[in-house]
Amino acid sequence: MAHVSVPMYWRTIPQRYQMMGQKCKKCGAVNFPPKGVCKYCNASSEFEELQLSGKGKVHTFVLIGAGGAPPEFADQMKAGGSYPVAIVELAEGPKVIGQMTDVNPKDVKMGMPVKAELKKIYTEEGVIRYGFKFAPDLEGK
Amino acid sequence: MRRVAIVGAGQSKYGEFPEKGIKELFFEAYKDMASSVDKNFDPKQIESAYVGNLGSGGFQLGNMSALVAEYVGLPYIHTVRVENACASGGYALVAAVMDVMSGAHKMVLAGGVEKMTDVSGMKQKYWLGVSGDTEYERLAGTTFAGLYALIAHRHMHEFGTKREHLSMVAVKNHKNGAQNPKAQFQREIQLEQAMKAPIVAYPLNLFDCCSTTDGASSLLVCDAEVAKQFTDTPIYITGFGTSSDYLAIHDRINTVTLEGTKRASQHAYKMAGLTAKDIQLAEVHDCFTIAELLAYEDLGFCEKGKAGQFIEEGHTKIDGDKPVNASGGLKSKGHPIGSTGTGQAYEMFNQLRGTVQKPIRQVKGIEKGLVHNVGGSGGTVSVSIMER
Ligand SMILES: CC(C)(COP(=O)(O)OP(=O)(O)OC[C@H]1O[C@@H](n2cnc3c(N)ncnc32)[C@H](O)[C@@H]1OP(=O)(O)O)[C@@H](O)C(=O)NCCC(=O)NCCS
Ligand SMILES: [Zn+2]
Repeated sequence: MAHVSVPMYWRTIPQRYQMMGQKCKKCGAVNFPPKGVCKYCNASSEFEELQLSGKGKVHTFVLIGAGGAPPEFADQMKAGGSYPVAIVELAEGPKVIGQMTDVNPKDVKMGMPVKAELKKIYTEEGVIRYGFKFAPDLEGK
Repeated sequence: MRRVAIVGAGQSKYGEFPEKGIKELFFEAYKDMASSVDKNFDPKQIESAYVGNLGSGGFQLGNMSALVAEYVGLPYIHTVRVENACASGGYALVAAVMDVMSGAHKMVLAGGVEKMTDVSGMKQKYWLGVSGDTEYERLAGTTFAGLYALIAHRHMHEFGTKREHLSMVAVKNHKNGAQNPKAQFQREIQLEQAMKAPIVAYPLNLFDCCSTTDGASSLLVCDAEVAKQFTDTPIYITGFGTSSDYLAIHDRINTVTLEGTKRASQHAYKMAGLTAKDIQLAEVHDCFTIAELLAYEDLGFCEKGKAGQFIEEGHTKIDGDKPVNASGGLKSKGHPIGSTGTGQAYEMFNQLRGTVQKPIRQVKGIEKGLVHNVGGSGGTVSVSIMER
């Protein structure tokens, strides 16, 4: 049931492991995940690499229940039950989607401070895929 | 440019049909279309066909437009499969309209077909989800229910939209669908039942979601100049618009607006010389209940953030001042992906001509309607305006 092949995954490791963003040289806005042309000005493809802090706030979230998980996450659902997924507004500006971790689904709230952590996402083709998930940021405000 | 009319429209039954594949479903819709043409229908005049389709039940991914066309007796013509996820059918209609407008062809078929129930539920979810953003949204563990839930939750947070408002969409559409002999779920549901259904992706539950459906639909689109040879009451396509958007929701500037819907409808209104106020009936893309609420706002039927109030006040009921989804919508009629857009136009064709099968669902005396078809979570959107 391969749908993100290993080579395809490897190409995106800097964004997934280090959250490497792009600062637009023209308008200064930060793009993440990466774009060919800056999504804020649509006028430049010249970027500086920018290491994101991984910190942000929950912009919106969902609790994925039975019937709502893609097949490759069915095992996780079976083992751990319903899991939260959030769109997080990062401190540097861009929003990004990610699973929440180390949190009771009931405790996820709009606006809550979170920070990215490198976690196992799932296993496909026998290869563990790592990427970021968001955990509550107890020092954040 | 040439003016464009629709002179025939057909739809298969929507539902679960183990005995039918894409060819048989498409043929059912085609025959229904042929019999709806009042006079002089001649298949030999059909010069091209645009067929909306996403997955073909997993068995004929390449060249399927040629297959379904020859099966219904239309070999040796210009055929194209149109794929824009759930908006494939809406874009097939627009492609046919552009074809006729350009003067390239006079008589064109626009249709769509999907076979969704041949594969297991797990496999369906596998290929349904891949019309969203596969690199991030999918890898966060979401399918479309989860994506629309993210939008719904934010809408509730920003505007105070209530859980009840979502369920009101389902109740209204099931009420209309109960009167549609071609709908998948021909039964009414109660508000309490809709609110208490099992959670699929909180805040959305089973009754907030469309189902998986087999079905097909077909329209006969032609140059307005020849339309009267086929019927005394052609339906004209007076405006259309399409727009793409950032595929992943997180890339969009505004989480609670489908920018594609806004832009597509603005194009369509402008072309038709109309505004949202002039629309007397709309078939909108309610793949999840929140999607219908977004449509009210982004098509301009009410202000941003006010959709909850708009449904609560009853405007969009069949006897309201802005009826929406008289067919039962995707929610109750079913959502056979590639067929959905042309299926909406099938309903509008009959509504405008006063030929809806069960009179109870007929909105009376209307002349201007709008059909709205969304691909995935809004990555593609088409809007067409149909007039009597
Ligand atoms: C909502 C969904 C997750 C339910 O799937 P599921 O949990 O596998 O449920 P099942 O198909 O087993 O159906 C369970 C029961 O509910 C009924 N049902 C299923 N979907 C329904 C719906 N949307 N409305 C009303 N009843 C529904 C079924 O008929 C079935 O009843 P039965 O047990 O009496 O036969 C699935 O239909 C789905 O993924 N829908 C969305 C499709 C989609 O994403 N389309 C593209 C949109 S952009
Ligand atoms: Zn820029």
